[in-house]
Amino acid sequence: MKDIFLLAYRDIKERKARTSLTLLGIAVGIAAVIALMSVGYGFQQSVTGELVEMADLIMVLPGKASLGSEYVELGSFNERDLKDVGRIGGVKETATGASSMEEVEYRGEKTVVSIVGIEPRDVGVVFGDMVKTEEGRFLRDNDHKACLIGHSIAKDYFDEEIRVNDRLKIGGSKFRVVGILEKQGGFKSELDSEIRVTRRDAKSILGNDGISWIFVRVRNIGEAEEIADEIEERIDENHKLDDFTSAMTMGSVIDQLKTIFTLLQAVLIAIASISLIVASIGIMNTMLMSVMERTHEVGIMKAIGAKNRNVLSLFLLESGMLSVVGGVLGCVLGVTGANVISIGIGAALGEGIPAIVRPEVLLGGILVAVLVGVLSGLYPARKASRMSPVEAVRYE
Amino acid sequence: MIRAENLSKVYRMGKIEVPALRDVSLEIKEGEFLAIVGSSGSGKSTLLNMLGCLDKPTSGAVFIDGVNTASLNENELAEIRREEIGFIFQQFNLIHSLNALENVSLPMFFAGVSSEERMKRAAELLAKVGLRERMHHKPSELSGGQQQRVAIARALSNNPEIIIGDEPTGNVDSETGNAIMGILEGLNREGRTVIVVTHDTEIAAHAPRVKRMKDGRLLEQ
Ligand SMILES: Nc1ncnc2c1ncn2[C@@H]1O[C@H](COP(=O)(O)OP(=O)(O)OP(=O)(O)O)[C@@H](O)[C@H]1O
Ligand SMILES: [Mg+2]
Repeated sequence: MKDIFLLAYRDIKERKARTSLTLLGIAVGIAAVIALMSVGYGFQQSVTGELVEMADLIMVLPGKASLGSEYVELGSFNERDLKDVGRIGGVKETATGASSMEEVEYRGEKTVVSIVGIEPRDVGVVFGDMVKTEEGRFLRDNDHKACLIGHSIAKDYFDEEIRVNDRLKIGGSKFRVVGILEKQGGFKSELDSEIRVTRRDAKSILGNDGISWIFVRVRNIGEAEEIADEIEERIDENHKLDDFTSAMTMGSVIDQLKTIFTLLQAVLIAIASISLIVASIGIMNTMLMSVMERTHEVGIMKAIGAKNRNVLSLFLLESGMLSVVGGVLGCVLGVTGANVISIGIGAALGEGIPAIVRPEVLLGGILVAVLVGVLSGLYPARKASRMSPVEAVRYE
Repeated sequence: MIRAENLSKVYRMGKIEVPALRDVSLEIKEGEFLAIVGSSGSGKSTLLNMLGCLDKPTSGAVFIDGVNTASLNENELAEIRREEIGFIFQQFNLIHSLNALENVSLPMFFAGVSSEERMKRAAELLAKVGLRERMHHKPSELSGGQQQRVAIARALSNNPEIIIGDEPTGNVDSETGNAIMGILEGLNREGRTVIVVTHDTEIAAHAPRVKRMKDGRLLEQ
């Protein structure tokens, strides 16, 4: 058995240039698939991974909200809604907020920013302990005319950078900056461009005490869906409206995101597969040429007693060896490519998305390479094995 | 040993039919040494290809050890070529990427002989044809006469009863040609049946029995 490997290896070696081009073809095809899958998976993980930490969260919004379609706000909640939600069994804690777009002035420069009114103690309910300040502190209950600003607001919104203790004019009244949040990016990137104030201050800016959203944390993630349904029912009843409330569990958001990512990956892989198809045409071409060139040799082999299957296995082995090497090379290229892409995305977005290379993807890549190699080698190999010995020997 | 009955071969080239063999009958006994002579195009190679199971006749049949080869499938024919017949070509037909030793061991490889045994026997055979010093040379590093001796060693590798040579001396000088015929005579003395085609009457003189071909027919002598 060793010798047939040697024989196939020598034939490959004799045709270095063409062999290496074919190898490159398979390798690039496999690499494209592996790189796209790894980057895609890394992307999915970095998005849903953050959300998984918040899996016990239910977001309650007035209006139709669902992933992929525009959110249409229908109004706001009131204190009674909040109390009713708090009374539902299984609800651990609730947090509310009011938000609106307001004019903000800093050192004579004006712009419109999203203002969020939130009880200081509720910050933890919404974001857990993941959000930290870069400078200064969080809001306190007894703060008056104080605000906590997002990273982008501080650095990018105004010509001059905002520092802690600077004064801003929000909706006409003066506020003191008590803290600046760390840069968030990713799923929490909206925190970067918001200004937080206490609910009390929000009321005076907004002129009403409507609630724009309620965040609910549940005790048991398994009950989240049921609780969400109950929340919708209760609030709809309060307002005597159907479909007034949207209560989205983080779990359902994660599921929807996963579906979107799976679809996205399928499309990417389909595109990458085209390069695999091209690669397999390449192998077939190489093998056909190799069969043609070696017609004479095949004739000799058959004349001295090689059976069809001896010839067949020789050529199949040759294409198999080519594709295993191509597959391994493709894995190396694919992993490298995935990392390069993820570094590139990191440089472009200012936020790293690590590529996640799963071993089963690599294994699958090699398997696909071998399958492609053997299948595209099959036709040329059969052609070679079926040649008539005299005809083939005559061929020079 | 080998019996050809009313062999005909017609090559078709488009609409033109080329009759290369016309009703040839021939019997070669075990241990015989037969030379077939004839001018170029008389059908000698065509006949040998039939006898060596490399090609099938248009009509008629070849019997080897009493077995009608027309009744055999491709695999069985391959086995006959591998085990019972050693074929030597005018153009040597060695595989260029393999060295002398590997070329000689190739038929044994197809027969499933173990690597160790193959190498041992191939080395013995190369020594027998006087190439002890050239075993690891590629065909391109050997002279024509040496290549033909590698081809003879290869023909012997599965120890066949029958040796068929299609102008084995055609591409070497007359001195080397005589040496090669000497080797074939030696094989015949070992008891092997030898059939050689040549258009050189001096070469044919090595054989006790000579048949002449003309226009696809075997002449009675
Ligand atoms: N594959 C083929 N297709 C068509 N015609 C062929 C083929 N092989 C042989 N012939 C023809 O058959 C006839 C006999 O050819 P063959 O090769 O048997 O002659 P030969 O006696 O061996 O000649 P030489 O001494 O030149 O080798 C020739 O006329 C040749 O042109
Ligand atoms: Mg001839």
